Amino acid sequence: MSFSINRRNLLVGSAATLAFGAGAVRTASAQTKEVVIGALYPMSGASAQMGVDAQKAFETALAFINEKSDADLPLAGAGGLPNLGGAKVRIVYADHQGDPQKGRAEAERLITQEKVAAIVGTYQSAVAATVSQSCERYGVPFFSADNSSPSLTRRGLKFFFRAAAHDEMFSAAMFDFLDAQKKKGEKIETVALFHEDTIFGTDSANAQLKLAKERGYTVAADIKYRANSPSLTAEVQQLKAANADVLMPSSYTTDGILLLKTMNELGYKPKALLAQAAGFSEQSLYDAVGPLAEGSITRGSFSLDLAAKRPSVGKVNDAFKKLSGKDLNDNTSREFMALLLLADAINRAKSTDGEAIRAALVATDLPGEKTIMPWSKVKFDETGQNPYADPVLLQRIGNKFVTVFPAQAAIAEAVWPMNKS
Amino acid sequence: MSASSFTARRTRQLGLALVILVVVALLPFGVKDVYTLNILILMLMYAALSQSWNILGGYCGQLSLGHALYFGIGAYSSTLLYTKFGILPWFGMALGGVIAAGIAMAIGHACFRLAGHYYVIATIVIAEIGLLLFHNWDWAGAATGIELPFGRDSWVTFQFARNKLPYFYFALGFAAVTWLVTWKIENSKWGYWWRAVKDNPEAAESLGVMVFNSKMMAAAVSAFFTAVGGSFYAQFVAYIDPESVMTFQFSLLMALPAVLGGIGTLWGPALGALILIPMTELTRTFMGGSGKGIDLIVYGCLIMVIALARPDGLVGLFHRRKRSAA
Amino acid sequence: MTAAIVIQSLASGLLMGLLYGLIAVGLALIFGLMDVTNFAHGEFLMFAMYVTFFCFSFFAIDPLLASPIVAAALFVFGAVVYLGIVRFAMRARTNVGMVQIFATFGLAIVMRGLAQLLFTPDYRSIPHTWLGGKTVSMFGIYLPAPQLAGGAVSILAFAVLYVLIKKTDFGKALEATREDAGAVALVGIDKNKVFALGWGLGSALVGLAGAIMASFFYIYPDVGASFALIAYVTVALGGFGSVFGAFAGGIVVGLVEAMTAMVLPPSLKSVGIYAVYLLVVFFRPRGLFGSI
Repeated sequence: MSFSINRRNLLVGSAATLAFGAGAVRTASAQTKEVVIGALYPMSGASAQMGVDAQKAFETALAFINEKSDADLPLAGAGGLPNLGGAKVRIVYADHQGDPQKGRAEAERLITQEKVAAIVGTYQSAVAATVSQSCERYGVPFFSADNSSPSLTRRGLKFFFRAAAHDEMFSAAMFDFLDAQKKKGEKIETVALFHEDTIFGTDSANAQLKLAKERGYTVAADIKYRANSPSLTAEVQQLKAANADVLMPSSYTTDGILLLKTMNELGYKPKALLAQAAGFSEQSLYDAVGPLAEGSITRGSFSLDLAAKRPSVGKVNDAFKKLSGKDLNDNTSREFMALLLLADAINRAKSTDGEAIRAALVATDLPGEKTIMPWSKVKFDETGQNPYADPVLLQRIGNKFVTVFPAQAAIAEAVWPMNKS
Repeated sequence: MSASSFTARRTRQLGLALVILVVVALLPFGVKDVYTLNILILMLMYAALSQSWNILGGYCGQLSLGHALYFGIGAYSSTLLYTKFGILPWFGMALGGVIAAGIAMAIGHACFRLAGHYYVIATIVIAEIGLLLFHNWDWAGAATGIELPFGRDSWVTFQFARNKLPYFYFALGFAAVTWLVTWKIENSKWGYWWRAVKDNPEAAESLGVMVFNSKMMAAAVSAFFTAVGGSFYAQFVAYIDPESVMTFQFSLLMALPAVLGGIGTLWGPALGALILIPMTELTRTFMGGSGKGIDLIVYGCLIMVIALARPDGLVGLFHRRKRSAA
Repeated sequence: MTAAIVIQSLASGLLMGLLYGLIAVGLALIFGLMDVTNFAHGEFLMFAMYVTFFCFSFFAIDPLLASPIVAAALFVFGAVVYLGIVRFAMRARTNVGMVQIFATFGLAIVMRGLAQLLFTPDYRSIPHTWLGGKTVSMFGIYLPAPQLAGGAVSILAFAVLYVLIKKTDFGKALEATREDAGAVALVGIDKNKVFALGWGLGSALVGLAGAIMASFFYIYPDVGASFALIAYVTVALGGFGSVFGAFAGGIVVGLVEAMTAMVLPPSLKSVGIYAVYLLVVFFRPRGLFGSI
């Protein structure tokens, strides 16, 4: 039984740890042939697909880090980490099943047994809370690739870094867009919030409620629903009754699909739909609902339209598509970029020591052109957040995403309203 | 079985428990790595939780699949009192236990007369209502959950950054106490009543009122310890949200070790936890990274096989061997 | 709140309730027959939805047409599960209840893992179906075609089931076996055969529900979890073992859910269902129509 073998390995592992002493300092020399990074994702359970997609994004990033290429990205072209003697980066994946306790246990295993130089993760914000806490306790950098909860960077952690935007930044962009549409003469007075009862839905809705108040929009409905409900009929009826100028959902793929289908069945055609990404960035949602999503807008961290301005976007997308059969999206682009930024920092740190990597991350100052994102640059503030991660808004037109906001990234005007009443 | 041999067996069991306690207490001198310690801590915690469940579910025969409610109440009591009012988690732990015990008695009062599956479903939906209420209770952090502030290592606040040993010894003590309580109960008049009712349902009639009251007490004891476990878990993980302490999965995980090890037996829960927890952790760690669900298949198969092959639990293996030896 | 909204809510709730009843009736049937609760019931539903999905994607068979195929596939699957697993769980002499719960719980986990392994955890759905996206609207009340069809199938299935149990030899064998499994052996009825057929029939009913669901719901390995608890509550509310109870229980659950969402925040709408269950069993400890 392979079970007992694993257990024996474990005992050998623990004996080895014992021999070196639990808190042995890991200083890498120039001979390091391999740098190990831990990736913590849900690999089973309800969000397993996110972990599987992330795995593909990281494999793509590894190809750009470890092999030579001519893409205009940090590290690309070197084939390994030049400052560490051309060391290759290897990823160890771990499954947290969306459970904060398991996330913490796996993080500690990755740090103490796999000797990872840093950890990247985690999709669910609740898991990021415990994983980053463990990383802090061990002095190992945690790079948040795709957690969007704003509270994560407000806990005074020294080893927490997030290059992508959080929900408040995303929501601010969404309201900037509404303001801009208003200026063009569109009548936008009311918004309806529709969000799931999770940390993601709550954070998103709180940010949107605050912004709506500040900017003078009436919240016609604020509907919190149970994630993965068997039916959203009652919820959609309330949205329909409110008939706001803009419907703003914060939902994952499952509920997003059910929302759009139920809206169609109940004859509710919103004037505009402006989504907080999540499910609305996923190809499987659009495959499921087809034309029902036509004209809907979602915020995003990424847009394929950028390829016109940043040639590396096309190269990375081609590589990713070869592996996964999908285009890069909101999540996978952030995951790709996170690993690249992390590897670049490790290279500049010239070491796999946590403090050294942290110092290198703090010193990061990368122009947006060297990324595949619409960001103006990557530079972390004292909380570890990159405030220059400008989001984009993408509209679904002809079953494709078209960038419609902000002006410097847009390739078309937004179609407004999405449904003529 | 004569009274003297019964007493002798009980003394032997106490002796065995002491030996095991000492051996486990010495383990950290050999095992230093945090991953293994983590598994050991979870193992002891589930042994204790499952033993608590066993008092009501096994000995009393009230198959509750809603113990996640008490676990959550414990986790939230200590965490809320500490983060909102600065009351030390030890007091929160005790208070959480008392609250949970009170709620368990209220639930028991209403539900004990329900038969079989009606009772099981009632416990599930009551726990689900609790989960939903916490999910929507903004003051308690709602879905966002609560993170324990990160302080200095201390027994006073029961917080340790890297050191797992304090959690290990607390969990060991917790498991020992729940075992001892069960051991006491086995020999109490409650223990006799419950056994009598199980062996002979007609006897229930004549014992009626007293049995009902003893079941109420069992519910209280069971819930109290489950809540203590919840507080411990909150301190151990340092972050709680409704999904991670109150879902139905937790109720199953508390019952599972007892069922696999031997329901209504003194050693069943510990034995079940000894097998189940490393299995859960190792399958996830060594097979879960692939994203292919193989860990789930292995884990599910093992549960199925044990449940089918040893319906009276794994303790049955030992009894038989002992009997054939003797 | 206008009258139109109330009527719409109740109509939607009723249709959803009929579907809940159809999902739950297999569970009720199996329980009534042999006192076994199948904790993998939600996974049976998931499996049925995948079968429907593959019928569509490989053979372009519409879910409505595929429903007999799915029911047949689930019939076989259910019988195999009985013969391969549950039969052994029932042999347990001690704590049979828990052994059954955990044997089927283990099966549920295995089925989820297998679905992830074989079908990937990706979210699937059937984009164009005869029913999907179509709606009947009258006086401002919208009745979605898939749910209408689901309601019709549900009523039909219950009618057929009623006839089957009350009028056929198979039904009489079921009844007899459930009354006294020991005695039927004497008159030459093979208990195992009847139980296997019962499992097949119960699973086939979930198959029907899955085929209908697949025409408007998303499909992924964990999809059953959303419906499993509702199915158990439905069965218990109606009274364990009562087929008619499952039908009535489903309707009550659907209506209560819709009404709760009108007065409480929608995220709490299940609380209404649970509260009604507790109220019912406090006054009628055997559910609405339970007899055993």
